[in-house]
Amino acid sequence: MSNFNIDAQALNTYDAIVVGSGISGGWAAKELTGKGLRTLVLERGRDVRHVTDYPTTNTQPWEFEHRNQLKKEVRDANPIISKCYAFYEGTEQFFVKDAEHPYIQEKPFDWIRGYQVGGKSLMWARQTQRWSDFDFDGPARDGFAVDWPIRYADIAPWYSYVEKFAGISGNKDGLSTLPDGEFLPPHEWNCVEKHFQQKVAGKYKDRHVIMGRAAHITKPQPIHFQQGRAQCQHRTICERGCPFGGYFSSNSSTIPWAAKTGKMTLRPNSVVHSIIYDEKKGRATGVRVVDSNTKQMTEYYARIIFLNAAALNSNLVLLNSTSHRFPNGLGNDSGVLGKYAAFHNYRAGVSAEYDGNLDSTTDGRRPNSPYIPRFRNVHKQEMGFLRGYAAGFSAGRSSHSDQSSVGADLKESLLNPKLGGWYVGSHMMGETIPKESNYLALDATQKDPFGIPQLKISIAYDDNDDKMVKDYQEQLTEMFTEAGFKNIRVRDSHASPGLDIHEMGGVRMGKDPKTSMLNKWSQLHAVKNVFVTDGACMTSTSTQNPSLTYMALTARAADYAVKAMKQGLV
Amino acid sequence: MAGAVGGLISLPAWANGWTTETVRSSQQLLSSGQAELLAELVETIIPVTDTPGAKALNVHKFVQKMVADCYDKSTQENLQKGLDSLDGLAQKSYSKSFAAGDTAQRTALLTQLAKSTDTAQKDFYSLVKNLTIRGYMSSEYVMTNLTHYQFIPGHYYGCVPVQAKATSQPK
Ligand SMILES: Cc1cc2nc3c(=O)[nH]c(=O)nc-3n(C[C@H](O)[C@H](O)[C@H](O)COP(=O)(O)OP(=O)(O)OC[C@H]3O[C@@H](n4cnc5c(N)ncnc54)[C@H](O)[C@@H]3O)c2cc1C
Ligand code: SF4
Repeated sequence: MSNFNIDAQALNTYDAIVVGSGISGGWAAKELTGKGLRTLVLERGRDVRHVTDYPTTNTQPWEFEHRNQLKKEVRDANPIISKCYAFYEGTEQFFVKDAEHPYIQEKPFDWIRGYQVGGKSLMWARQTQRWSDFDFDGPARDGFAVDWPIRYADIAPWYSYVEKFAGISGNKDGLSTLPDGEFLPPHEWNCVEKHFQQKVAGKYKDRHVIMGRAAHITKPQPIHFQQGRAQCQHRTICERGCPFGGYFSSNSSTIPWAAKTGKMTLRPNSVVHSIIYDEKKGRATGVRVVDSNTKQMTEYYARIIFLNAAALNSNLVLLNSTSHRFPNGLGNDSGVLGKYAAFHNYRAGVSAEYDGNLDSTTDGRRPNSPYIPRFRNVHKQEMGFLRGYAAGFSAGRSSHSDQSSVGADLKESLLNPKLGGWYVGSHMMGETIPKESNYLALDATQKDPFGIPQLKISIAYDDNDDKMVKDYQEQLTEMFTEAGFKNIRVRDSHASPGLDIHEMGGVRMGKDPKTSMLNKWSQLHAVKNVFVTDGACMTSTSTQNPSLTYMALTARAADYAVKAMKQGLV
Repeated sequence: MAGAVGGLISLPAWANGWTTETVRSSQQLLSSGQAELLAELVETIIPVTDTPGAKALNVHKFVQKMVADCYDKSTQENLQKGLDSLDGLAQKSYSKSFAAGDTAQRTALLTQLAKSTDTAQKDFYSLVKNLTIRGYMSSEYVMTNLTHYQFIPGHYYGCVPVQAKATSQPK
């Protein structure tokens, strides 16, 4: 404290600090370094280098000790993370174990996290759809949240910008609910999916089945080769890390790109504790960081700060950044910090069988599947619930072998499986309504292993979600029936929120500082040199997957931040 | 090391996907007698024909490892108990140990287990059978030589004519 060392301060001073190196932080790092800013990227987890740190990327199925099943001791020690479908023997290394970062479930919430360089971009499912004006002006139309301060036109060029670099495959479908992007060739359909698409098109003019838009390089462009990435090889084990860079991750794309500028300092094992607010200067001056190995606290300083710790952790950092000026969390004049958190409703699914197209089957594997964009409450409020849902859809051919015998007969039957019929499946992706009662807060007494207050999560489904589940089940059943699918089965997993891994809000954007935290540039209304561009900034959640929008918002905010900095505005 | 089982003699070259390293169990679940019996059991379920059977592919070690590492205590005990009672059943049915029985005798015994009204016995058998099938089908030998698994397919074709034979493509 006393003999504060000026040199040390200079040594720890950068033009910009980025907190987090996941999908959004990677983009912040790339954009800020690309514009010449000396940028410090602080990442709480360990370093994960492209290819060399993907230990299971070339592991053959038979080389997994337990054939990818989790050991009992791992399951028992990790009841939360074990619920995530992508957590298995081959990916254990990329997920946060329950004990590593405890939190308080005021209501049941399965918080799925990846703490490492690359964050969750390593394990994500790579679905990337643009949001449309129906999403951005939705809250203003039906009043379920505050108005977004931006519209589709504000962000469209930034979607194009990030799509070209990341590499997004898809078909130009010309739908108003799902704007087209800068696409690489789409993945291939199978015959039953095509059949379903045609049946749906024949019956409903407002419902569409399209090929999913996914962050896979189906046809590399020069910009992808420059990143050292190559064409996707259809291994479909992406969540273990892809040595080809076939899908977009921070590790294969934005972070090495930022490193190449020579302007990035990446500091893993650095848990950001809080943002430092200087009352005299009226601005944030830096961050406090706990070294995860030594538990020592260090301060780093910069002109601008990008907070990209993923939605819930960005809330946590702001809530923990208190000062005389901001006793309830940085920038929290409105009192809405931590409130209006929302997520996606992935509870329901519908599956069935189909006995047509028996003379054809599929060959190879596809890391993507078709998608049904939202069709409810689009042009007007027509249903007894607010907003709508999108759905995933896919078909495949089953094969089975009679396992009732033993001995040579059994062996024969196992090695000569009979082709069964087709199976089809769908899962819902519903928009949930941001509510004040869905909030995040800090616990008054319990601390995490770094001495930081534990996050208290109080998020739940409501009646709107239940109605939506029911409608989804009914409508998909109707569409499946129309397509001649048999044995239709609906399910509702009643899983807790969280497993959708699309948590958003708490630091929402808005026009009015009295009801929102951020302005249209994702800049804190009250602290102009702090930007929050991950899921925390989302005013509402749309039915689309969110990450592409985080990328676009981040690139846009970085562009603004650097211009504003040069004009002396921040 | 649980490796002592049979000394890993003459592991064929194609079976080396399971090294001593990967078949090592975190806990020694079975006695050597139980382990040998398990080997006979899996071999009865999937025997050698013109291709190797479950035993040569070390499926018994896989079964043991899975039960030791991935299952709860009661399932582990049921595996031990089931193996212990198997020889007794063999003695009762054809007055020899299970290992000494011929194929028909062993098979008859397994059929009896499958139909057993004793749930512990039935569970024991279905556990071993399911894990044997899983271990066999996901062994390197079967995946590379018999079911032609492609690690890197490089493509997805959505509508190809049905061939004579279906191939499984797990991850
Ligand atoms: C299995 C799975 C499937 C998914 N599928 C899709 C999909 O198909 N489409 C889609 O759009 N999204 C999908 N997602 C969600 C997607 O991964 C996230 O939306 C996205 O990664 C969020 O980006 P982010 O930058 O906000 O956070 P992250 O990518 O999680 O990165 C945040 C980073 O910040 C670091 N950090 C956190 N706190 C601190 C701190 N205090 N100090 C320093 N660093 C900190 C973390 O360690 C992490 O590296 C999926 C996620 C998973 C796990
Ligand atoms: S499907 Fe494509 S991106 Fe995924 S692991 Fe395979 S090659 Fe990589």
